[in-house]
Amino acid sequence: MNHSDDLRHISDCPSCRQRFTENVLPFDAVRRREGAREFLAAAALLERERDGAGDIVERHLRDTPMDEWPRLAESQPLRNNAALEWMSEEVRKRLERNPVEALAIANLAASIAESLLAGTYPAVVLGQIRSTALRDRANALRYLGRLDEAYDSIATAEARLDAFPGAALDRAVVWLVKAMILGQMDLFDDAEAMITAASGIFAEVNDSPRFLQAGLVRGNLLVRQKRYEDAQQVFRDLLSVAISGRDVETQARLQNNLGHCATCLEDYGSASIHFSQAIARFTDLGFTGEVARTERGAGVVLIGKGQIGLGMARLREARQTFAALHMPEEAGLCALRLIEAMVEHGQTDEARALAASVVDEFTAAALDARAIEAVVRLRASLDADGATAEAVRTAHALVQSLTIDQAAAS
Amino acid sequence: MNALTVERTDPRPADLAPMATRREADDLDFGRLYEDNFSLLVAIAVRKFQVPDVDAEALAHEVFLSYLKRKNDIRDLHPWLIGAICHACRYFWRQNGRRTEQLDQELALLRPDPASAGIVDLLPAQLAVREVLEALPPRYQEILRLRYYEGYSIREIADYLGVTAKYTQKLVARCLRRAEQTLNPSPKRKKP
Repeated sequence: MNHSDDLRHISDCPSCRQRFTENVLPFDAVRRREGAREFLAAAALLERERDGAGDIVERHLRDTPMDEWPRLAESQPLRNNAALEWMSEEVRKRLERNPVEALAIANLAASIAESLLAGTYPAVVLGQIRSTALRDRANALRYLGRLDEAYDSIATAEARLDAFPGAALDRAVVWLVKAMILGQMDLFDDAEAMITAASGIFAEVNDSPRFLQAGLVRGNLLVRQKRYEDAQQVFRDLLSVAISGRDVETQARLQNNLGHCATCLEDYGSASIHFSQAIARFTDLGFTGEVARTERGAGVVLIGKGQIGLGMARLREARQTFAALHMPEEAGLCALRLIEAMVEHGQTDEARALAASVVDEFTAAALDARAIEAVVRLRASLDADGATAEAVRTAHALVQSLTIDQAAAS
Repeated sequence: MNALTVERTDPRPADLAPMATRREADDLDFGRLYEDNFSLLVAIAVRKFQVPDVDAEALAHEVFLSYLKRKNDIRDLHPWLIGAICHACRYFWRQNGRRTEQLDQELALLRPDPASAGIVDLLPAQLAVREVLEALPPRYQEILRLRYYEGYSIREIADYLGVTAKYTQKLVARCLRRAEQTLNPSPKRKKP
């Protein structure tokens, strides 16, 4: 082995760490002892709080009606880091299924975090606590499409870390969420800059799961800009990282995304291979929803290849799976693909009936008003016999854009 | 290395003995983590990023504190700590750069920058230098630009290139020699 002062080498080599550290500085012994004491006191406090905090949060949320959650901000057992960490986890769990509830918890957490007294924790820890709560709030608002408020919240989360150079990972995660918000606001260059900065830190601290997540967000942004070849390149590069890190879930997601890019580029042969790979991996992992999502992609490929009957059968199967999993948005996207095929093949009556079902499903699930509006408009034009496949694709693109980048950064 | 004195701040009732034992073990682990790595982080801040000693210690301390909040997310401790201190140092310098006050415009006119005095006379020489620079291979150009245009120290260039400072010094000397040869090509000696 060649020993050197290269930091990558130092991080792996105990003897070079030792050598690099020797004879550097005569420390101020008192200051160093005080630092160590503060570190240990903070560690003890945070660990003590973590014991049993989960039950407390769960009980408070369960026993209090949601509209009364704001008053829980005064509840002493919830006013500490561990309880806030549990709330952050609760927000993350609810984002996909129930963003309104996720936002209510995030609002509670932000209100507690912002009102914790200075001195409760070391300043940097307090900064991290506040930033995390505000970031979760921004994420929940993003899911609900309230992008201006989401941006304000994430900007405040970022500002809470301004004074702390040492909070590298927290800052990077904030940048990742900010990138997603900017992407949804169609500010692609700004989003790209944020992702580049965040990816740099994830790579530097050797956090490959988040590095991959940032890459997926970057690829999705490129897809939204219809830069499919660039997105393919991003996903391919990430695939090698995911394979070397034995991250099967990300491999499956990347194969699925590569399948979508190939579909958009009308390279149906490659798309079919990527979707098969994705389905195999998701099946191994037992991710039923993801299998259905990939089946939907495969259905689109088959229709593109001219195998209409087979493609529509796969879309119907995927739609049923999503419905059984209570995922109306995804089921709706399957339906829109089916409607597109029906319109193209003159099956207008079936298309009209299916559009009406989607409107009912979206309304019952209280989905984003813009998604409902898009399908209502589509149904109206089908009723008037004026709908074209292009009109269906427009509705599909809108509904899909509201579901894109829904991966929560934590 | 000296073991740190661990002072307990939490009460330890008798009926919580197993928990207390676990916490003592945690305290020891945290103490060892800090003790074993603090000097390394300070050394990186000082040697690789030229952060002043006291600030370097504060940055290292902050990285450790931020670790406490994030510890369950961290898989590889050393790469994480080293990556975090590198980011902290760069952030530190960016913040320091931002604090630099802008020059008063009137004052700037009254006291002109000595570097721009006689710039008209110097311009032809500077253009010649640029011409020479452009004739060099890209790597040589980059090294000379870093050293003489952007003012990086030998150590900073060494870090950037991932080589030792000693080698960088040789590299800069070689670039200068090559530039000189380009500017004043020596006549070829004729064979007797």
